[in-house]
Amino acid sequence: MSGSAGAAVFTVADASFAYPAHAPCLDGVSFAVGRGERLALVGANGSGKSTLLHLLDGLYFPSSGSVSYLGRPLTEAALEAAPFGPRFRADVGFLFQNSDAQLFCPTVEDELAFGPLQMGWRQDDVERRIADTLALLEIGRLRARAPASLSAGEQKRVALASLLVLAPSVLLLDEPTGGLDPRSQSLLLEILDGLHGRGITLIAATHDLTLLPHIADRVLVLSEEHRLVADGTPGNVLADTSLLLAVNLIHAHAHRHGQLVHTHPHQHVVAHEHAHGDPAGHGHGDPRGGGEPEP
Amino acid sequence: MDGGAVVHIPDGYLGPQTYLPAWGVMAPAWAWAAARLKRTLRRRQLPLMALAAAFTFVVMMFNVPLPGGTSGHAVGSVLVAVLLGPWAAVVAVSLALGVQALLFGDGGITALAANCLTMAVIMPFAGWWTYRLLAGRAGSVPRRRALAAGVGGYVGVNAAALATGLLLGIQPLAAHDALGRALYCPFGLAVAVPAMVIPHLLAIGFVEAAVTGLGLGYLMRTDPEISIAATPGPGDRPLRRLAAAVAVLLLLAPLGLIAAARLGAGTAWGEWSAGELEVIAGRLPAGFDRLASLWRAPLPDYGLPGTENSPTASQAIWYGVSAALGVAVIVAAVLALRRLAAGKGSGDAAP
Amino acid sequence: MTPLPEWLRPGFAPGAVKPRGRRGSLRPLRRGLATLEAVLGTLVSAGPDDRRDGFLRNADPRAKLLAGVALIVVATLLHGVAALGASLALALALAAAGRVRAVRIAAALGASLALTTLVMAPATLDVVTPGTPVLTLARPGGGSLGPFRLPATVAVTGAGLAVAARMILRTSACVTLALVLAATSRPQELLAGLRALGVPQAFVMVLTMTERYLAVLLRAAQELHLARLARTIGGIGFRREEAWAAAGIGAVFRRTRTLADNVTLAMIARGFTGEVRLLRPPRWRRREWLLVAAAALAAAALLAADRGLA
Repeated sequence: MSGSAGAAVFTVADASFAYPAHAPCLDGVSFAVGRGERLALVGANGSGKSTLLHLLDGLYFPSSGSVSYLGRPLTEAALEAAPFGPRFRADVGFLFQNSDAQLFCPTVEDELAFGPLQMGWRQDDVERRIADTLALLEIGRLRARAPASLSAGEQKRVALASLLVLAPSVLLLDEPTGGLDPRSQSLLLEILDGLHGRGITLIAATHDLTLLPHIADRVLVLSEEHRLVADGTPGNVLADTSLLLAVNLIHAHAHRHGQLVHTHPHQHVVAHEHAHGDPAGHGHGDPRGGGEPEP
Repeated sequence: MDGGAVVHIPDGYLGPQTYLPAWGVMAPAWAWAAARLKRTLRRRQLPLMALAAAFTFVVMMFNVPLPGGTSGHAVGSVLVAVLLGPWAAVVAVSLALGVQALLFGDGGITALAANCLTMAVIMPFAGWWTYRLLAGRAGSVPRRRALAAGVGGYVGVNAAALATGLLLGIQPLAAHDALGRALYCPFGLAVAVPAMVIPHLLAIGFVEAAVTGLGLGYLMRTDPEISIAATPGPGDRPLRRLAAAVAVLLLLAPLGLIAAARLGAGTAWGEWSAGELEVIAGRLPAGFDRLASLWRAPLPDYGLPGTENSPTASQAIWYGVSAALGVAVIVAAVLALRRLAAGKGSGDAAP
Repeated sequence: MTPLPEWLRPGFAPGAVKPRGRRGSLRPLRRGLATLEAVLGTLVSAGPDDRRDGFLRNADPRAKLLAGVALIVVATLLHGVAALGASLALALALAAAGRVRAVRIAAALGASLALTTLVMAPATLDVVTPGTPVLTLARPGGGSLGPFRLPATVAVTGAGLAVAARMILRTSACVTLALVLAATSRPQELLAGLRALGVPQAFVMVLTMTERYLAVLLRAAQELHLARLARTIGGIGFRREEAWAAAGIGAVFRRTRTLADNVTLAMIARGFTGEVRLLRPPRWRRREWLLVAAAALAAAALLAADRGLA
C-alpha cells in the first residue's frame, strides 16, 4: 500500500474493533498513511469511519490488530507514558463532528488554552500562541465569546484553532463540513488547503462525495460490512460507480420517461439532467443495465 | 403555585446559626463525594458531572400539570441518583443548585449549602435507598424497578421537604432579639413543618414520583443497553442503611435543636414575658403539654426551662413527634410497598 | 416508487373528527417553555444589557464576587430595621451604578417581595408573633375546636410588623445584591471568578462546563417542547402529560450520556490526563482592590451601626 512521501505516519495492521456487547464496527482493516498525505475515509453511515478515526487518535484501541504512530504502537500504556503520550496528543489533532462536544470551555480563549496548558507549557508562551492562532484564523474578535453563542461556522473555526494552537502535524477530521453553510464550508476548505500546503497530514472521514476532490489526494472506501474495499485517487473512486453502489454511497434512481423507466446510479449531490435522447446521460455504469420497457 | 420551587430556601430566611453549620456539613460531603467519584469514574468524571448537573437543571424545566389547575416540576435528584448513583447525584445536584443560585438568583447564596443538604444529599439518598429496597435483586422486571424509582422519588422529595421544614422551623428558636421577636423565618416547627410537608405529601410528591418512575421506565424500555447505576445487585443492605440513617437523624435532630437554641444570637428563654409565653402555648394542642415532661427526662443537663409551656420544650416536642411520625409513616409505606412489589414482581417475571 | 396512499394525497378530506371531551390546556407546557427560553436567553444573550458600560461591568468578577458575597453575608447578620434598610439602599445604589436595567430589578425584586410578603403576612398576627395588638382582625373569643385551643383575638401586632419588615428588607437586599452580581458579569466569568473564593480549579471547571452544556441541553428541551406544541392543540390529560414529560426527560438524558462520552474523548484528545489546569487569571488592578475595600468598609460600618443601635 501507499506510503508515498517518506516513512509512514500511521500504520494500521489488520485492525478490528467492536464496542463492548456490540457487533464489530471495523473488520480487519490495514493501510498506511505517509507524511503530508491528504486522505479521505468514505463510507455509508455506520460503516466505521468515525471509529477508525478514534482508533487513529488513540481514543479507542483495536480489539485485534494494531495501530502505530511513527512506528510506535498506540496502546493505553504507551499514551499514558510521559514523553510519547503528551507529544502524540500535541502532534495529532482531532476535529470532532459535533462542535458542542469539542468546545467544552467557557470562552474561546479558554478553549485555545486548554491543550497547551495540559502540555504544561509556560503561561506566557501559551498566551502568545493563543494570540497568534486567533490572528491566523482571523477570529480575534471571538476571543471572549462563549462557544454556545457562536454560529456553526465560527464554532468549527474555533475548534480548529484549539487544535492548531498545539502545532499539530496530523489533523483527523470527522465530517469537517457537516452542518456548515456553503460560505463556511468553502472558508474551512480554504484553511485546510493552506494547512496541507504547510505540510500537515490531513485525514478526513466523510460521506460527502463532492468534497473528495477538495480534501483528498487518496480515498479509502469502507463497506457496510466494515471492511476496507478500495484505495485510490478521488477520480478513480468517484468513477467506479459499481463500487459506490455496492457500499451504498450512491443509490439507483428510477426515472419515468414516457414508457421507459431508467434505473441509473445517482450521487445525491450531482444535479442530473432529464434530457431525452441523450444517450450518454443515462445508464452509464449501471450494473442492472439500462432502461427496460414497462410491462 | 409553582410546585417544586417550594424547597428552595432564599437568602435571608435562615440565620447564620443554621447556614454556617450547613456549609460545615456540606464541605466534607462534597469532598467525599468527589473522591468517591474519582475512584469509580476516573477521567470521565468531569464531563459526566457537568452534563448531569445541566441535566438536573433541565429536568426542573419540564412543567407537569397537577390536579386543580396548577402545575409543578420535579427536582430530579432521585432520578439522577437512580441513573448515575447517589454520590453522582450529590455532586450533580449541588452544581445545578450552585449555578441556579449564582447565575439566576434562584435560591440563596448563603443558603446554598442548606439547599444542597436537603436536595442534593437527603433527597437523593432517601430516594436511592427506598429504590434499592423496593427494586429487588438483579434481573427484576423493569416495571418493578420503575415503580420502585417512582416511590423513591416520592419519598425523596418528601424527605427534602421535611428537612427544609425543620431548617426553617428552628429559626425562631435559633435567633431572636431582646424582645423575643424572631430575626429570621418567624414560623416555628408547628407551622413550618406542616407547611412544607403537606403540599409535598398531597401533590408535589406525585410529580416527582411520576417523573422519576416514568423517566426510568422510558429509558429502560427504549434503550435496554443504557448503563444505569441502579441495576440492582447483590451485596449491600439498603434496609439496614436506611434504618441506620433514620436512627442517626432522629438522634441528631434534638441535639441540633438544642445546639441551635444555645447558639442563638438573641437572649435566653427566660426573658420572654409571661404573657407572650401563654400566647405561644395557646396555639399548641393541649395534650402536648403533658408530653413535655417526658421529653425533658433524657436531656436534664441542657437545663430546659422549667415550665411545660416553655417554647423550647413545646417546639422540641413538635419537632420530635413530627419527625418520628413522618419517619414511621414512610417506613411503614415502604415496607408495605415492598411486600406488595415482591408479590407482584414474581407474578410479573413471567411475561 | 411505491404509490402514495390515498390519505396522503393532497386534497384528501379526513372523516369527521369526533370532538373530544374535556381537553386540558397547554398552559403548563407553554409556561415550561417560557421559563426554559428565559434561562436560555440569560445564558447566551449578547443583548444590550450586556454591552452596557459601567464601573461594575469592567471590574474583575473575582472582586465583584468577594464584594457581593461579603455584603450578602452581612445582610443576613443585621438585626435592626434601620441597618437592613440601609443595606437595601446600598444594594439598589449598586444596581444603579452597575446600570442594571430597571425592568430586571423590578422583576427580581417583585418576585422576591411577593413571596416574602405572602409568607410573612401570617407572621404579623399575634398567633405567630405575640405583642401589643395594633389592629384587631377577629375575636374568636377563646374556646376550643377539637383538640385545638382557639385564641381570644386575632390581631396584627407591632412585634409582628417588625418581624415582617425585617424579613422583607433583608430578602430584598440579598436578592438585589445577587442580581447585581449576575447582571453585571457574564455567566462564565462569574463562575470562573469563584476561584477567588477558594473553590478548587476542578470544581470551577465542572461548574463552567455545567453552564456551557446547560445551553445545549436546554436547546434540546426547547426542541422537544416546540415539537409537542406543533402537534397538539390542547392538553392530553394528566397521565399522558406526565408520560410525555418523562419521555422528554429520558430523551434529554440520553443526549446527556452521549455528550458526556464525546466531551470526555475531546478532552483526552487534547491531552487531558485528569489534572485540571486553567489559564492564569489576570492580576488585580487598583479598581478591584478599591471595590473589595469599599465593600468591606460598608459591611463593617453596617454591622457596627446595627450592633451599636441594638
